[in-house]
Amino acid sequence: MATGIKDKVAIIGMGCSVFGERWDRGADDLMIEAFEEAIGDAGIERSQIEAAWMGNALDDINVGNSALPLAHALRLETIPVSRVENMCATGTEALRAAVYAVASGAIDFGLALGVEKLKDTGYGGLPLRTKGLANDLWMPYGSAPGTFAQLAGAYSAAHSLDGGDLKQAMAHVSWKSHQNGALHGKAHLRKTVGMDTILKAPMIADPLGLFDCCGVSDGAACAIVTTPEIAKSLGITNPVVVKAIQLSASNGWEMGYGEWDGASVRNTQVAARRAYAEAGIKDPRAEISMTEVHDCFSVTELVTMEDLGLSDPGRAVFDILDGKYDRGGAIPCQTDGGLKCFGHPVGASGLRMAYEVYNQLKERAGDRQLSRADFGLTHNLGGAPFNSVAAVSILGRLD
Amino acid sequence: MTHEPGSIVAVGGYLPLLRLDRAQAAKSLRHFGLGGRQAGYRAVAGWDEDAFTLAAEASRAIVESPPARVCFASTSAPFIDRAHASLLVDALALPRSTRTLDVAGSRRCAVAALLDALLGADDALIAAGERRPAKAGSPSHLAYGDGGSAVRTGTNGAAKLVGWASEAHDLLDSYAARGHETAYASEERFIRDIAGGTIIAPAILAACTRAGIAPGDIKWAAVHEPLSGMWKDIARRTGITAPNDAATLAEQTGDLGAAHALFALALAFDAARPGDHVLLAGFGSGCDALIFRVDAKVPGAAEARAALGLGEASADYVRFLSLSGALDLDFGVRSEFEQKAQATVLERYGRDTLGFIGGRDAKGNVQFPKTAIPVRPGAEGREALEDVRLADLAATVASVTADRLNYTPDPPFWFGLVQFDNGARILMELTDAGPAGFKVGDPLGMRLRIKSVDKRRGMRTYFWKGAPAKRPQMEA
Repeated sequence: MATGIKDKVAIIGMGCSVFGERWDRGADDLMIEAFEEAIGDAGIERSQIEAAWMGNALDDINVGNSALPLAHALRLETIPVSRVENMCATGTEALRAAVYAVASGAIDFGLALGVEKLKDTGYGGLPLRTKGLANDLWMPYGSAPGTFAQLAGAYSAAHSLDGGDLKQAMAHVSWKSHQNGALHGKAHLRKTVGMDTILKAPMIADPLGLFDCCGVSDGAACAIVTTPEIAKSLGITNPVVVKAIQLSASNGWEMGYGEWDGASVRNTQVAARRAYAEAGIKDPRAEISMTEVHDCFSVTELVTMEDLGLSDPGRAVFDILDGKYDRGGAIPCQTDGGLKCFGHPVGASGLRMAYEVYNQLKERAGDRQLSRADFGLTHNLGGAPFNSVAAVSILGRLD
Repeated sequence: MTHEPGSIVAVGGYLPLLRLDRAQAAKSLRHFGLGGRQAGYRAVAGWDEDAFTLAAEASRAIVESPPARVCFASTSAPFIDRAHASLLVDALALPRSTRTLDVAGSRRCAVAALLDALLGADDALIAAGERRPAKAGSPSHLAYGDGGSAVRTGTNGAAKLVGWASEAHDLLDSYAARGHETAYASEERFIRDIAGGTIIAPAILAACTRAGIAPGDIKWAAVHEPLSGMWKDIARRTGITAPNDAATLAEQTGDLGAAHALFALALAFDAARPGDHVLLAGFGSGCDALIFRVDAKVPGAAEARAALGLGEASADYVRFLSLSGALDLDFGVRSEFEQKAQATVLERYGRDTLGFIGGRDAKGNVQFPKTAIPVRPGAEGREALEDVRLADLAATVASVTADRLNYTPDPPFWFGLVQFDNGARILMELTDAGPAGFKVGDPLGMRLRIKSVDKRRGMRTYFWKGAPAKRPQMEA
């Protein structure tokens, strides 16, 4: 009988590069930047790492395929390195692979590193890519904001909103993230922005305006994992441990079968339910201290609050406007600025989220430090609302 | 000839949504005034329409029973060595045993093909489509129009061929050639004299003689004029008093090239009463004149006339320049996306894609595309799906957005989940957006359109898109 991943793996070191338009740095520089912080944090030798997983979502843009770019950048000597890719859930996939390897007993020390170098594309937004030769014959090439804008429309329709409240709540989501991102020295966007500016921004994909969309960034993030026992032997008395990592992936139901109303993301709901069970969380609204969710677009964060069970269906708009997810609210969300402001180098984002939760749990978050940080939840959403991979992780302390 | 010529069983006509107001467009060209139409409307194809899609749309309603033969006619066909008639077989979900032929060579090709089909008493579909390039500022840029027309022939149709005549005459009124795709026109006075006096009028008179009627017996005419305003002279020369629906059509949509005469024929059929004689004449490197006796209402004729009045007027000359290919706008780096279609993939999926063929699973759910294991929840293994054509079925918008980031030659890019009444749900592009765009719940009809264009390799693919179920009525 499977017992899950709870408390079987500790994170002993994490690192994160500065995210942003890193014109002067290549992907290898970003990987080294994140890794050096993580290995220094872990206090182990590089040679102790027995296996590594590199998360990179858009290999054709820059980094290159396979995990060899990681092995080359860090000059890892003949250890197994593997590349994982699951769209925007890629970073969490890399962590999941390293965590499972340690939990299985196959290795003592594993490395998970996510990296993306998007600002060499020559334009804003994610690159347009083939959806596979057969799908290209019929499937539209919608942009990422185009796919998530449809979540907003369907959400409005499902909850009979006139659009005004939703637009205000979406703007508040972005306003809050700018408030938080301004406090993080590694964030891509570090300026606060007024609600009026957000609301009057040019439209990207109805009803998502410019400030409803995260940008794309260069960046890397990294985690070193081991067993709690080894962590303790290294002098880490109360290590951060993995309480749960769960994924759920679409099988075509949402976009190919006429049941889904488009107002929620089933994979987030399923992954969250499994993660709570794995972590032993009975009442997420009371037990989850903070979240780092996939706010690729403001509406995504809004709907995710409901899909995670932190807001009732149709009520996230009002919870957001009441400040429930602000840094001083009941369950702060995106204390580092989230994808919106910290940035979104796709393959690194899942690990960047874990980095913020890790620092909050270790009370290293400086001006952003929360008074209560017991269980932190990360949420990645790859793809589109109608065809997605959702990853939910819960981190906490061993004791 | 050993058998009776055939008859016309049904007709079809299709026009793109946009109608450029010529007077408004002419204002954008201050030097414009050396010739060409400056009144009425010009039908303008969307970026995702071409001669093939226009012909296919015109044909959709008249292939309920599959014809034995399909003929595609155009002077602006997108492919040189790829048969559009074979593409039509797939797009219209016809049997692969259908005989196919593409004809071209002049604007007359569709009428010539029709005459051949009728003389052979064939059960045939003649499908014409035209989207002709023209240089901005040239008279033909505003005089042309984009559209499609179709005729179904058989042996017991409502309009019987009773007379015909042909004239082959290499008149250089205008021509286009490889490497010179836009028309090069000769002096109008020369064209009027020669085309009217020595080609069209004699052919009409010979057809009347063959039919055993006097020209004055012709009640309705669909005579493709080489230049606007020629009908009066042709009528005078022949003694015909009937109005010319081809001239009316040119005023309202522009000259539809190879599709023009057949569309005008549909209008004439719509006006005709049982017993009336209708004249059809195609022009281009000669003339084919056909005379029909109408015995009953011709199916599709009323719909073709209705299509004239359904559209969206536009005064946006820059948009017209872009849509008509006369202005190469810079859509930025995102437009550099490569969309290469592989022949092997088209061989596997091309026919179902072009025909919009989904599948019905063992529990009755319909899906597109077909898959070995159906999308239905609970389906655990392979099922044999029954083919279901989705092209003609009703659907509504389930989710939608106007995507302003994604590249499209005519922004914004509308797309969303489309819910068919039979249960199928498909992520689709939407097209022909009106000023208000699309919203959840809007009823849709399906249109065959260009899916992708691979300029580097001269390739394009086609798929269906959701369009508003009803078009707006143009103001009179």
